[in-house]
Amino acid sequence: MASGPHGGGPRAGADGPVVGARPLLEVRELAKRFGGVHALRGAHLTIRAPGMVHGLIGENGSGKSTLLGILSGQLSPDGGQILLDGDAVTLTPPTRALAHGLAMVSQEIAYAPELSVAENVLMGRRLRRSALGIDWRASRHAATETLARLGVDVDVDRSMRDLRPDQRQMVEIARALSMDTRILILDEPTSSLDKHESDALFDVVRALKDEGVAVVFVSHRLDELFELSDSITVLRDGRTVAEGPLDDFTPASVIAAMVGRYGESPTPHEPRRRDEGRPAALAVEHLSSPRAVHDVSLSVGRGEIVGIAGQVGSGRSELLECLFGARAVTSGEIEVDGRRHTPSTPLAAIRAGLAFVPPDRKGQGLVLSGTIRSNLMAAALCNRRRLAVPNKRDEDEIIDGLVRRMRVRLHDTEDPVSTLSGGNQQKVAIGKWLARAPQVILLDEPTRGVDVAAKAEVHSLLRETAASGAALLVSSSELPELLVLCDRILVMAQGRVVGEADAADADEETLLRYITNA
Amino acid sequence: MSSTIHVPGSAVQRPRATARRIWASSRHLVPVVSLLVLIFVLFSVTNPYFLSAGNLTILLTSSTGLWVIAIGMTAVMVSGAVDLSVGALVAFLAILFAKLLDAGVAGGLALVLTILAGALIGGGVNGLLIGRLQLSFLLVTMASLTAFTGFVNLWSETKSIPVSSPVTDTIAFGHVLGVNTSILIMAAVLLVGLFVQKWTYFGRDVYAVGGNAIAARLAGISATRTTVAVFAISGAMAAVAAVVGIGRSSAASPTVDNSVPLQAIACVLLGGASIAGGSGGVGGTALGVLFLSTLGNGLSLSGISSYWQGVVTGVILVGAVLLNRISDRGLSRPFRRANPPSTGAAPDAP
Repeated sequence: MASGPHGGGPRAGADGPVVGARPLLEVRELAKRFGGVHALRGAHLTIRAPGMVHGLIGENGSGKSTLLGILSGQLSPDGGQILLDGDAVTLTPPTRALAHGLAMVSQEIAYAPELSVAENVLMGRRLRRSALGIDWRASRHAATETLARLGVDVDVDRSMRDLRPDQRQMVEIARALSMDTRILILDEPTSSLDKHESDALFDVVRALKDEGVAVVFVSHRLDELFELSDSITVLRDGRTVAEGPLDDFTPASVIAAMVGRYGESPTPHEPRRRDEGRPAALAVEHLSSPRAVHDVSLSVGRGEIVGIAGQVGSGRSELLECLFGARAVTSGEIEVDGRRHTPSTPLAAIRAGLAFVPPDRKGQGLVLSGTIRSNLMAAALCNRRRLAVPNKRDEDEIIDGLVRRMRVRLHDTEDPVSTLSGGNQQKVAIGKWLARAPQVILLDEPTRGVDVAAKAEVHSLLRETAASGAALLVSSSELPELLVLCDRILVMAQGRVVGEADAADADEETLLRYITNA
Repeated sequence: MSSTIHVPGSAVQRPRATARRIWASSRHLVPVVSLLVLIFVLFSVTNPYFLSAGNLTILLTSSTGLWVIAIGMTAVMVSGAVDLSVGALVAFLAILFAKLLDAGVAGGLALVLTILAGALIGGGVNGLLIGRLQLSFLLVTMASLTAFTGFVNLWSETKSIPVSSPVTDTIAFGHVLGVNTSILIMAAVLLVGLFVQKWTYFGRDVYAVGGNAIAARLAGISATRTTVAVFAISGAMAAVAAVVGIGRSSAASPTVDNSVPLQAIACVLLGGASIAGGSGGVGGTALGVLFLSTLGNGLSLSGISSYWQGVVTGVILVGAVLLNRISDRGLSRPFRRANPPSTGAAPDAP
C-alpha cells in the first residue's frame, strides 16, 4: 500500500543513495521499541543541504515524537543510523546532540518562568563569563543580540513569566539558535500562536533559512507545511511512508499518506434547523468580566453550533470561562433553556446543564495518569452523593455507551488515558460530558494538537452531538475549523463581539477583516 | 540578519534599567525584610537589653547551625527538591566526628573528613537516588532520615560522646581578629553562597534545573549531576553544623532533631523561594534565619513561652508566601492555565 505522492521524486522508504553531495542529515532505518510497542520501525528522514526547511508530519502515534526525541538526544534508538555530513553519529545525551548542532524547541513548555529572559536564552552554561565569574552585562548584550536576530525586541531583564506566549516561544527559539545550531527542530511551534504570531514566526524561519540553518518543521497544519517546507517526510505507524521535495505533494496526497488512504473531502456544510418557538438553549445578555469581556450578548439554539473567532486575548476563551463559572462575572444575564443561570462555580454551571471542554487537554481536560474509565466517569459522578457506593454495572453501561458513541479507539478502559493518541484523548475529554446529556457544550480549541484525520472525526462527532439537541459554542483560533464546523460565527476583539457571519456564506478573508480591523 | 536591531540600555536608559534589575532581583525579599525590621523595632522598644552587643552576639552565634544548614537547604530547594534528612545527618556526622577524634585523628583533619563524609553521603545516597534513579525526593530523604536515625543510635548505643578538642572550642567560642569564629563561619558560608549562586555556571544550572528540568536538559545541562551536587552541599553543610553543635555543647549527641529540616525549609521559603524550585536564594535565606532567631531571642527575653515561636512562625510563613504570591500576580486568578490568559497582552493588530 505504498501511497503515491511521488512524481519522480525519491520513492517512499527507498534506500538508494542520494545522488550528489552527502546530505546534511540522513536518518536511516531508525527503530525504537517501548516494551512491546514498536514506536519506530524504519523511519527515514533526509535533509539534503543547509538552509532547507523540512516538513515532518504524521498522525499522533505515528512515531513522530519518538523520532524527535532521538534527534534531540533524549532517547537512544534501538536500531538504524543517523548520519551527519555522511558520518554516523550518536546523539544521546542531549549535550551531544547540541554539540553536533541539533537543537529542538520542544512542544512542551520549556522555559524557567522565574528566571530572566537573558538567562533563558543562554541557559546551559552559555552565559558570558570573565575571570571573575559570569559577566552579566555581556550576557545581557548577547541575549539581546540573539533576540534581535529574530526581530524580537523585549527587555531581557524581565522574567520569563511576564512575556506573552508568542514571545516566550521566540525566546526558546533564540536559545536553540544561540547554541550554534545547524539543524533546528521546531515541534508544532504554532499550536499556541494565532495567525498573526504564526506569520511572524514564519518570517523568522525564512530568515534562518537564509542564514543557512536547516529547520525541521513539525506541524499538523497542512497550509503551514506547504507554505514553509522545501521537502516533506510523512510518518505512519513508525515508518516513513512518503518523502520528497514539496513539489511532489499535494495536500490531498499528504493526508492520503498519513492515513493510508485518500481522505474524504470535508462534509459539505448543511444548515441545521433552529427551534424558533422554544427559548434558546443559551442566551447571554450584556455579560461583562473585568479586563476580559465587555458587554457580550449572544444566543445559541438547540442543535446549533456557534463559533467564536478572534485572536488570543480577544476574550473568546475568557467568555467561555465566564459562562462556566470559572471566571468572575460583574454584570449581565445568562439563561440556559429559559432558566436564569448564575455561574458562580463550575459545579453550579454543570448543574445548570453546561459542559466545558478546556483548551489544554493534558492540563485541564483530563487526569492524564487516570484510567480512561475514571476520566469518562469524572463528569457523570459529580451529582452523586459523595459516599455513594459506585455501581459497577451502571458504570459499565455508561462507559460502553460513551466509548461507542465517541468511537474511542482503545485497548482497555482500565488503561491510563495518557496511552491514547491525542485525537482519542480529546474524544474522551469531550465524551465525559455526554454522560450528563448537557444542554450547552462550551468548547475551547476542540482540536488543538490533534492530527488532520482525527480532527475530521472530532468534527463529525460534534455535529452528531449538536444534531441530538445540544447547543455548542466553540472558540477556536483556526478559522477553517470554524467555517467547516459552525452554523454561525461570532468575531470577538478586545472583549467585545465585533461581528457575526453565517458560516455558509463567510470565508476566511471576511473573518480576518473583522478580527484585525477591530 | 534582521535590520530592526534595537540597542538596549542607551546612556539615558541605563540607570533606570539598573534600578529595575535590582528591584526585580530583590522584590521577593520585601516581606522578610519588613518582618525583620518590624520585630527588631518591636523588641528594641519593649526590651532595653535586646539591642545590647551581648544579646546581638548571642542571637547570631546561637543561630550558626541553622544558618549553615538553611544555606545548604537553599541549594536543594532552588533545584526543586527538599532535603528532609539533614537533621539525622547532623547527628550521624557529629558521632562520626567524635569517633574520629577518639580514634586519635587530629581535630583539623577530623573536621575535613567529616565535611567530606557529609558531602559524600548527601550526594552519594540522596543525590544519586533522586538524580540518577529519578526517585521522589520526599521518599528518598524520608527514607534516609529513618535509616540514618536508626544507624546513628546503633552506632552510638544512644549515648552522647563528650568531646573536648581545640578545634571545636575555637569554632564555638574562639575569636579571629576580634570577631567570633562562628560569626565568621556564617559570613564566609553566606559570601561563598552568594558568589556561587550568581556568578558561576553551577549556580545558574541549579536555577535552570529547578525552573524547568526539561528546558535544562534540552539546553545541555545534566540534571543528574546538578542534583547530586546540591545534596552533597546540603550534606557538607550538615557536617559543619554538626561540628558547630559539638563545640557549643562539648559533646556529640546522637539525638536527631527533626525540627531542623523544617526550620531550614521555613527560612528558605521566608527568603522568597518557591516550594516548586527555581527561585529564592541564600541572601533571602540568611534573612529568614535572622528573622526566626530574632523572634526566638526576643520572645524568650520577654519571658514568653518559646512554644509561641512555633505558632508565630507558622502563621508568618503562610503570610509571607501569600504576600509573595499577591505581589507576583495579584489576588484573583480563578484558573491556572498552561498559557496564561490574555490580560492586557492583546496582540497588536497589523
